[in-house]
Amino acid sequence: MLGFLLAALLPGLYWDQGPKTADVVRQAGIDRVFVPAGQEGAWKTAGIDAQPFDASKFVKLPAPGVERRMNVAAATSMPWVNGNGWRINRDGRRQYYYDVRWRTAALAAAEAYVYGADAVVHPEPRDLTAFGQMLAFLKSVDQPALPVMANIAIIDDGSEETGEVLNLLSRRNLLYLIVRAPDTAYDLNVQIGTKDFPKDAALDPSAFATLVRQKLTDEKRLLRIYGSEVVLGKVNGDGQRLRVHLVNYGGGKVDGLRVRVRGTYQHGKLAAFGIKNPALADYEPADGATEFTIPEMGAYAVVDLEK
Amino acid sequence: MDRRTFLQATAAAPVALAASLHEDLPKYQIVSRYQPAAQPGMPGAYPGKVARVHAGKAIDEPSEKVDAPTVREMISQGMRALTGDADARDSWARFFNSADVVGIKVNCSGAPGIMSTPEVVGEIVRNLGVVGLKPNQIWIYERFQNQVASVHYDSFVPAGVHIWTAEHDRGSIAGYDPNTYVDVNFFGEEDTRSNMARVVTEHFTKIINVPNMKDHGAAGVTGCLKNIAYGSFSNVARSHSGFKTNTYSFIGTLASVEPLRSRTVLAIMDGLRGVWHGGPFSPSRKFRFYPKQMLFGTDPVSIDRLLLDVIDDKRKAEHATSVWDRSMAHIKSGRGYDNNPSVDRFVREPGHIEYASTLGLGVYEIDRIQVRKIEL
Repeated sequence: MLGFLLAALLPGLYWDQGPKTADVVRQAGIDRVFVPAGQEGAWKTAGIDAQPFDASKFVKLPAPGVERRMNVAAATSMPWVNGNGWRINRDGRRQYYYDVRWRTAALAAAEAYVYGADAVVHPEPRDLTAFGQMLAFLKSVDQPALPVMANIAIIDDGSEETGEVLNLLSRRNLLYLIVRAPDTAYDLNVQIGTKDFPKDAALDPSAFATLVRQKLTDEKRLLRIYGSEVVLGKVNGDGQRLRVHLVNYGGGKVDGLRVRVRGTYQHGKLAAFGIKNPALADYEPADGATEFTIPEMGAYAVVDLEK
Repeated sequence: MDRRTFLQATAAAPVALAASLHEDLPKYQIVSRYQPAAQPGMPGAYPGKVARVHAGKAIDEPSEKVDAPTVREMISQGMRALTGDADARDSWARFFNSADVVGIKVNCSGAPGIMSTPEVVGEIVRNLGVVGLKPNQIWIYERFQNQVASVHYDSFVPAGVHIWTAEHDRGSIAGYDPNTYVDVNFFGEEDTRSNMARVVTEHFTKIINVPNMKDHGAAGVTGCLKNIAYGSFSNVARSHSGFKTNTYSFIGTLASVEPLRSRTVLAIMDGLRGVWHGGPFSPSRKFRFYPKQMLFGTDPVSIDRLLLDVIDDKRKAEHATSVWDRSMAHIKSGRGYDNNPSVDRFVREPGHIEYASTLGLGVYEIDRIQVRKIEL
């Protein structure tokens, strides 16, 4: 269940407001920026380390967030989460670029950090402070990366269908790792086009994700999240320690989130972006699992557990 | 067998028994640390017994103004008829004493058009005071803040009575107990838990259930069982999807979870107003009617069995489809249900009441229910 180690990367800032805004950038706690080519000298003169930004070298990612889709005929409406974790998982060696709308720069930074992406974020100017605050928060929680943990090993054929399956697995917190060949170390191996996972089934990615979930079973899942449909998780661990990353795509605060991880951990510690004195509540290590409540969280929270 | 598994198995036993009779039902897992009382509140001290009080002047139909003195007399007579006591104080003292912390489960899903009438709730609070409860030992509770806020119960009860809602913001689980829940996967939803309100598990010693007389597009009717079940747990709307609803088994299952089952010791069904179509909501008066009655009992199944006839008789009188109709011909998505009493949104499940009886929650057979009728 352990994947390869990823070095933690802090996202960069692409800032095109000109060197005259150097004080604003500095006040946001940022000392390195990507700037339009030709401006780097002026920025360095202003005391801020600057590199020219060449968009052609970056893969542009869609803005993270949610869409409320009311076309589901039910008493509830299920939000559609636009997350990029699956894209980064698919090809994490590339460099990524977020050009994001207001109030999503901090979320983009958190997402890039969690999935270990080499990324640059271009925020709206009024989002600079929030971006800087998130960067400071990420620095405060940063530590040497633990191996990525997953239940599912999936072979990626590079097709659009598989991409959408990866997207749906991510959105449902069905933790997977992309592998080149089946690996019995995982609870479930998924290869589209096999008897267990026919190619036709992948034409409906939602149903396919349901099939994967059924075959895995909820009992075996490394991570369950209760109380929100817009928080996606990622888990790193080494058997003794577990780090649970939780990214809230909803845009607002989540008021109460119950988390269940497989494995019994006696101690847990919470850090939550934008929340003063955060603490885990109703902590319950029992019966091969650990559950806890995050009373309140903004765009990102990280929980460190120890046996 | 570890402790948690043991508790689950114990709590789930009645559900497992009922499920064995209906093998196609969802697989419910009940998690609770609470043991049932020697005599659980549901069906309680008076299984199969209901006191029905009708008063023509309880509410003025044109103005919907409630006559508080009549409500007081209705509650006094209803409680005495249920218990057989000559003095209403003795009736209340059978259920409550000065050491209790009492939750009053109101229903505000149709507010401000229909809800547990403030005058009724105020009179219940007054009677709790008579048997020694201080205002701060009384909690009026419901799930959604925006619905309760429209009713202004605070104008009808003494200062100090708590008015509490589980979800100040819709979807928040902060007001629910993480260790008391029903886990079930209906339609592949990711969040498979419905948790019991914290006030029920952590604060209340007793609960009074105060539902209305309402039609319900999914459950057929909404009375004692649905009010106490869907009104005390989180994440319950997931039981409906498309035209299908799992209310048939989910309502009774939730109501059977401890400590909710043991602590809900009294039901007072407020039928001053009613809704015969479009429930549980009531955005206009088009489908409201005025039964002008209240039902008293400890057995939610028996009271709801009587409610079925009240709603279905009214629907027949209005030439609407029966609550028992399961024809797909009447089911339409969209807003038709809100305006047309011959349109349904879901296949209704009035059988949820009989199903609850198989969980031991009460008496369903009409010829086994004793009804004491009082006319004021």
